[in-house]
Amino acid sequence: MNLTVDRITKQYKNKLAVDRISFRLSEGVTGLLGANGAGKTTLMRMMSGILEPTSGEIAVDGIPVQSEEYRALLGYLPQDFGYYPEFSAREFVLYIAALKGIEKKKARKKTEELLEVVGLSEVAGKKIRTFSGGMKQRVGIAQALVNDPKILILDEPTAGLDPKERVRFRNLIAEIGKDTIVLFSTHIVSDIEHIANNVLMMKEGQLIHEGAWSEDKGDLEKFYMEEFE
Amino acid sequence: MDLEEAYDKIYRYVYFRMKNQAIAEDITQETFLRFIGKKGNIHVYDMRYLYTIARNLCIDEYRRPKAEALPEDYDSSMQTSDLPEERMAVRDALAKLSPEDQEILLLRHVNNEPVGTVCKALGISRFALYRRLKSAEDSFRSSLEVETDEK
Amino acid sequence: MKNEWKDMLNDAFYAPEAVKKKEFLRSIRQREMSSFEMIWQQAAYIRIHVWIFAVMIIAFAVFGAATGLGSTQHIIAMIMPFTASFSVIEAQRSKWCGMTELEMATRFSLRSVVLARMTILGAVTFVVLCVISPVISVAFDQGAVLTAVRILIPYLVTMIISLEAERSVIGRKTGYCPLMIAAVVSVFIYWMAGFETRMLLRYLDILESWGILIALGLLALTFAEQWKTINNVEAFA
Repeated sequence: MNLTVDRITKQYKNKLAVDRISFRLSEGVTGLLGANGAGKTTLMRMMSGILEPTSGEIAVDGIPVQSEEYRALLGYLPQDFGYYPEFSAREFVLYIAALKGIEKKKARKKTEELLEVVGLSEVAGKKIRTFSGGMKQRVGIAQALVNDPKILILDEPTAGLDPKERVRFRNLIAEIGKDTIVLFSTHIVSDIEHIANNVLMMKEGQLIHEGAWSEDKGDLEKFYMEEFE
Repeated sequence: MDLEEAYDKIYRYVYFRMKNQAIAEDITQETFLRFIGKKGNIHVYDMRYLYTIARNLCIDEYRRPKAEALPEDYDSSMQTSDLPEERMAVRDALAKLSPEDQEILLLRHVNNEPVGTVCKALGISRFALYRRLKSAEDSFRSSLEVETDEK
Repeated sequence: MKNEWKDMLNDAFYAPEAVKKKEFLRSIRQREMSSFEMIWQQAAYIRIHVWIFAVMIIAFAVFGAATGLGSTQHIIAMIMPFTASFSVIEAQRSKWCGMTELEMATRFSLRSVVLARMTILGAVTFVVLCVISPVISVAFDQGAVLTAVRILIPYLVTMIISLEAERSVIGRKTGYCPLMIAAVVSVFIYWMAGFETRMLLRYLDILESWGILIALGLLALTFAEQWKTINNVEAFA
C-alpha cells in the first residue's frame, strides 16, 4: 500500500504548524524525528483524520483520510490519552475494538492475544488507573493494534517505557512493520536507529530530511544533535 | 446487494465502454474511491451515483491523449470467431446497434438495474428511457433476425 | 422467449475476469457490525447511575400515585432537568476522560459514538415518560398529555441550554455546567410551585391550551441543538 501525504499544511491563526509537507510511505517502519513543537503531533493527527488540514491531501491507495475506509485501516496511538475511569485494561481494548467495528468474538480473541504480546495478561482485569505510565502506554499500543491495522501511527510510543519495555516494543514494531505502514515519532534517536528503514525529520513545520539513513551520511544521532540542540 | 455485485456491474459497464480489461478495472476502482472520497464510506452506496461517476471517468479517459497505441492491447474477445454460430450472431447483431442503444440494453437487461437507476445514470427522463429502450429492443431483435438469416 | 434473449445479451456483453477485484474489495473492507449493533454496544457502556436514576423516577411516580402524594408531579418535574443534564454529561464523556482522539480515529468515529449515546439516552427518557405519564394521569385524574407535557418541558429546556452551553467556551472548561443549569431550572419550578401559585396557575393554563405546541417546538429545538453538537464534536482542535 502507498500512503501519500500531498502538500499538507496546517495553519493556526498566524502560526504555520505544518508547512506544505509531502512524502510517500509504504510498508515498513518510518521514524519521525524532531524537537518538541516541530509539528510532529500536528502532522500525525492530520494523518489520523483527527485534525483537518488547512490544505493538502492525505490518502492511502486513493482512499482519502476523511473516509471510514481509511479509518478502518488505521491504528493510532495519541501522544496522550485518557480512559474511562471504570475501565480495566481488557475492557479498554474491547471498547476500542467495538468502535473499530470488530465482531465480538473476534475482538475477545484478539484482545487477549494482544494483552499477552504487550505483557499485560496477568493484570488484564485490573483498572487502568492503578497502572504505571509504562503499563498504560502498553495498553495504548494494544488498542492501536486491535484491528490489524495497515497504517499504524504512533505518537511518542516509547514515552514512559523503561529500558526493558523499550527493547521489547522495538522488536514488536519491527515485526509489525514487515507488512504494515508504521510511522512513529520520537525524540530519542536510538528508538528508531535500528528498526526504521526510513527517516523523516521535521523542524519548524518543515521536512528537513526524508529517506533511509545510511552509514555514509554519518551518525544519525550526531546529525540530529546538530540540527536540534 | 453486496459490494462485490456492485463491483461486477460497474466493471461490466466500464468494460463495455472501454473494451480493455486493465483500463476498465482501473476506472472501476477509481469510481469506488471517488464515491468514498465524496461520501466518507462505502457502507451505503448508491448505484445511480456510481454509474454517473463511472461514466464521467470513461469520458475523461477517451479525451486523454493516448500515450501508447490502444489497438495493441485491445481485447479481442468480442471478435473471437471460434464461438458457436448462434452466439456470434448475437454479438454481430449487437454490434450493429448504436452505442447508446447498447448502453441501454446493458444497463437495463444485463445489469438488471431498475428504471430509476438507468434514468439517473444516463441523465434522461423516464419517458425518454421507455421510448429508447423500446426502440433499442426492436432494433436488436430485427438485427438479430437479419444475422440469423444470413448465417 | 424474453429470458432466452436476455441470456444471449448477457453472453454478448461478456467482460473478461476482473483480476484485482478481491484485493480491492478487501482494501475497502465492509463493517462486520451494523450501526444498530453499534448502538446496542454503546448502551452497555452507559454508566449504571443513569439507569438507576430512570428506574428511581418510575418508582417514585408509582409510589406517589399509590399514596396520593399531591406534589408528585412537581417533584418529578423538578427531577427531570437532572435527567437531561446527566444525559448531556454522559454523551460528552469522551471529552472529560480524554478519549476523544482515540475514538475519532476508530472506524465508527466519535461522531457516531456521541450520536449513539444520545439516541440511547433519549430513548430511556422516552420510556420513562411513557410509563409515568399514564400512572400520574390516572392517579390524579389529569389529562395524560398535559401530564406528559408538564414533565417534558423542564427536561427539554435544560437539554437545550446545556447543549448550547457545552459547545460554548465555558462548557469546554467546566464539566458540570449541565448540572448547574438543571439546578437553576429545578429551583425555578420549586419557587413557582411553592410561592408563586398565581404564576403556576397561569403556567398551567397556558400548558392546557398550548402545551403540545410548546413541547413540540422545544423538541424541535432540542433536535437542532443535538445536530449542532454532533457536527461540532469532532471540530475541537
